[in-house]
Amino acid sequence: MTGTRARLWTVVRRELRGAVRTRTYVFLALALTGVAFGVARAGGGPSGGYVPTVVDVLLVVEVLVPTVAFAVGYRAIVDDAVRGELDVLRTYPLPTWAYVTGVYVGRAVALLAVTVVPLALLGVHVATTSGPEITVFASHRGIDSPFLYVRFLTLTALLALVSLAIALALSAVAGSGRSAILLAVAGLLLVVVGTDVALFGALDAGLASEGGLGAALALSPTSAYRGLVFETVLYVAFEGRSGFVAPILAWVSLVGWVVLSLAGATAAVEYR
Amino acid sequence: MTDPSLTAEGVTRRFGDVTALSDVTVEVPADAITALVGPNGSGKTTLLRLLVGLDSPTTGTIAYEGPSATRRLGYLPQRPTFRPGFTARETLAFYADLVDDDPDRLLERVGLDAVADRRVEALSGGMTRLLGIAQALTGDPPVVALDEPASGLDPEMSRHVFDVVDSIAADGRAVVLCSHELPLVEATADRVVVLDQGAVVATDTPAALRERTGGPLHETFSALLDRDAEPVRAQVEGGE
Repeated sequence: MTGTRARLWTVVRRELRGAVRTRTYVFLALALTGVAFGVARAGGGPSGGYVPTVVDVLLVVEVLVPTVAFAVGYRAIVDDAVRGELDVLRTYPLPTWAYVTGVYVGRAVALLAVTVVPLALLGVHVATTSGPEITVFASHRGIDSPFLYVRFLTLTALLALVSLAIALALSAVAGSGRSAILLAVAGLLLVVVGTDVALFGALDAGLASEGGLGAALALSPTSAYRGLVFETVLYVAFEGRSGFVAPILAWVSLVGWVVLSLAGATAAVEYR
Repeated sequence: MTDPSLTAEGVTRRFGDVTALSDVTVEVPADAITALVGPNGSGKTTLLRLLVGLDSPTTGTIAYEGPSATRRLGYLPQRPTFRPGFTARETLAFYADLVDDDPDRLLERVGLDAVADRRVEALSGGMTRLLGIAQALTGDPPVVALDEPASGLDPEMSRHVFDVVDSIAADGRAVVLCSHELPLVEATADRVVVLDQGAVVATDTPAALRERTGGPLHETFSALLDRDAEPVRAQVEGGE
């Protein structure tokens, strides 16, 4: 008997099969690889170690990873809607949440392959080119380690997943391919700079206090990501240098963005 | 086993100030083809979407009676389009996987087994429509709804599509379709529901409708619409 979980995986498989045949993803991966390696080598990070490499590529990653995520997800649902496939799928025993989750999981696998693999290759490059002072285990503060780079990769994967979930929610709201593009651009701006600008505006207007800045920053996906990278990767080696963001709140915020965006996407598909 | 049937009882559907359907009662019985005919904007597609459950009536009820099934209703949209880059078999395999069906059986059922490995964007309009019908049959639903299954196709392909539709009803299913292809409807349908401006103008067999004017169905159709246009306009606030 085919259950809902099996049907969800059917949707995942279709997305994966589609992704494998989309050459654009290969170009995106190559572009991201080229930019990451180029920026890191220009900054000299790889010869210095993992943490200097993260410093070199952080800003680029903050912008490029959400951009790639939106490119992967902005038409995921609206295309099915425009083709009439959503109407057809409603006549199958496939709950809307299972459809949305299946699309998300399938695209997420493709997205992580496009974004995390190039950065992982950069990590391998660091391992083969950096000096001998890097040890495998960061036994105390002040030592560079591949594990710090793995933390960076994990956080970057989470930023990608958050961005994809937001892209999917906007795709579910869009009424056509054109409106999907406009919503994706607006959503991308919101993720990359919009929430930070809103936060600074709130600070300027006195709506948020500097004391609560760490908590406020955690609410923005990009700030939460950046703050966690600072807290757990870059400044883990420096005594007394913390408080860039409220870490637990930042984790909750990132996971919350994913959950709420997917819930929003499900509601939008249900009522469109 | 209960014969499958679908009934719309006193259904009205409004979109804001526009009344697309007004107090429509229609039955879609088993082992028969029920054709919804009428001019553009008469409410055919709205009624079909209500019957399938893709939309909800403002007032009135839609009721399904029949066997419990993994998929109760099969549906062919007006212009079926499939995700590009996939072959006909892969496309159907996706839907078949959702309900434990065999895509090759379905392709053979509509006569597309020879082009199973052709990408959907390379299929002709008629083949795409047949692939859509195969999709509508996926999971062996007791009721099948087809929105304009032959619109825009050449006469030979239209005839082939209607032959396939005829064979679907012969399997004991309840089939409901919208169409402007009146000669094919006349030759294939068991019951014809004539709609105009959101109301049912007549419901009968093609033969009985033909007897009203003594000519082909399209003459009866025209006569019905001319005769009933004014009273219907008085009843209905707007079109589809």
